[in-house]
Amino acid sequence: MSVADYFPMLKPFLPSGLQDPPARFTGPTGKPVHGILAQYSAVDPVWNAGETVRDAGFTAWDLHSPFPIHGVEDAMGFKRTKLPYISAAVGLTGAGLGFLMQWWMSGNYEIVVQGKPPTAWEPYVPIIFESGVLLCAFATLGAMFAMNGLPRLHYPLYSHEPFLASSDDKFFVYIEAKDEKFDLVRTRELLESTGADRVDVIEDE
Amino acid sequence: MSQIDAYQRQLEAVARHPAMSDDNIHVRKGALDAPSNVLIVLGIVGLLATGALAMIFNVKHALAAYEVGVFTVTAFSLGGMFWTMVFYLVNAGWTGTIRRQLENLMMMLPVCLAMIAVIVVVELASGGVLLSWMGIDPATDHLLDVKKGFLNEPFFVVRFFIYAGLWMFLATSLWRNSIHQDATGDRMLTRKSRFMSAWGLPVFALSLAFFAFDFLMAMDYRFFSTMWGVYFFASCALGSIAVTLLILCILRSLGLLTGLVTKEHTHDLGKLLFGFTVFWAYIAFSQYFLIWYSNIPEETAWYVNRKVGGWENVATLLVIGHFIIPFLILLFRDIKRNVAGAAILAAWIILMIVLDFLWIVRPMVYVGDMLDANPGPTGWILDIAAIVGVLGIWFGFLLKRIAREPLVAKNDPRMPEALGHRNYV
Repeated sequence: MSVADYFPMLKPFLPSGLQDPPARFTGPTGKPVHGILAQYSAVDPVWNAGETVRDAGFTAWDLHSPFPIHGVEDAMGFKRTKLPYISAAVGLTGAGLGFLMQWWMSGNYEIVVQGKPPTAWEPYVPIIFESGVLLCAFATLGAMFAMNGLPRLHYPLYSHEPFLASSDDKFFVYIEAKDEKFDLVRTRELLESTGADRVDVIEDE
Repeated sequence: MSQIDAYQRQLEAVARHPAMSDDNIHVRKGALDAPSNVLIVLGIVGLLATGALAMIFNVKHALAAYEVGVFTVTAFSLGGMFWTMVFYLVNAGWTGTIRRQLENLMMMLPVCLAMIAVIVVVELASGGVLLSWMGIDPATDHLLDVKKGFLNEPFFVVRFFIYAGLWMFLATSLWRNSIHQDATGDRMLTRKSRFMSAWGLPVFALSLAFFAFDFLMAMDYRFFSTMWGVYFFASCALGSIAVTLLILCILRSLGLLTGLVTKEHTHDLGKLLFGFTVFWAYIAFSQYFLIWYSNIPEETAWYVNRKVGGWENVATLLVIGHFIIPFLILLFRDIKRNVAGAAILAAWIILMIVLDFLWIVRPMVYVGDMLDANPGPTGWILDIAAIVGVLGIWFGFLLKRIAREPLVAKNDPRMPEALGHRNYV
């Protein structure tokens, strides 16, 4: 994920280091190629295509379906997410910070409330809990967005008319050109060999 | 017509499933006899020892130790009924292969109610040895005087019969439907049970809360906590899942239920275990925190009695053993998907629930009698004898019950979903 993926409108203003690497392939109209899209009309062929693409070693690709297909994450070779570890680490950090904050505050400026002993542990608990939950929630949400690349304001597939059927009755496999294994001819042949109804080259806009 | 045909084909497909073979869903005849007989003998010995020590040592102490065991197993049985109704009500597909074990817990309610009836008889005969309000004239105590409309012997007995009647009706009706469905495959029985669960759950919630008020909270008639019913419910929901998980893991290790209760099912039961571990900690701390903060004497007295005489160490142990250890361990996915790991943790949580009830009930014996707060080794022998006695009887009869019927509700309409259950994460 690059900055330009999140904010395509910033592309002209970004320094060269943050720009996308130059496209390796040029499409039929002379624009850089963004990826290759294969269309299927049923779950079974798209499932098999997913396994083929997974076994070919692609990483920058996705499978689109109008409805959730249970178990397709195995066909796509998904690995377990690292998100729970981030949540746990930041949650425990938040709880620790919540404790330190109170310890520092009541150590420096002791206030007796309702005659309770200043050293009582009980009032610490809700604040430790809340600050743990708060930081855990922020970290989980932020890390989730960072890891799945959302929110994405635009994607070249959206301007490709046949792709609209991905919310109706068609299934798609899309391999991006930025994948190291991507090759305009051989990737197209691979997708055609999986029995796709049609295969299109998608160009940048 | 075609829908009925399709359903009939589904039933046949489930019956033909290789995991549904007879030797996979039935305990081999006599296989559980030895352990269940050992447990029942252990239970009888324990209860006889309790009775003997009640005569020669201390009736109040013996009754309290007996109540620790009785309320623990009652919590397990009530939790079994709770989950059975919840799973019917939300149409939980994955529970088709585990519901029978929860129903077995639920059908241990007659044993529990018989043991509670003993408590009622002893309390009435002794003039309130633990339920001290029975032995106090309301005219002499304002705090009891304002509660005498509720805390009086006739109403107490009536309430006990109301709880017993409601629970027996719900449990036997749900059980009859389930067993009947095993034979006939009639899916309307599931709808009947679901309808019953819809009105049964609120009725169950209220009766459970008032049961906890009557038998546990009223041991100190001055004490009140609106969280008390929830506190008891937390043990019900958590304990029944722990017992179910333990039993399923034992059955799995006997080579039964292969392909029916997979690591996906233990994973989901482990999630419930995790959730209700946190739930218990949350409401137990909230109850303590609010009482500590508001500092009203008739409420704080309950906790003060449990912060002396060594009980403060039990409280610390509960915080660590009932919450922190299971919380940290159950965070890990692989533990919940491992039969041995899940079984050990479930057994640990059962132990902690016993300890929780010990901490609730036992300090009441020597309240206001601090010099005698440490009854010495005889007291602890009595505690262990009574707890082992009650738990032995309950688990012994539970094993007998498990061996009697098929281990899964084999004609449940949600069976295909339960057979193919998976966690998609």
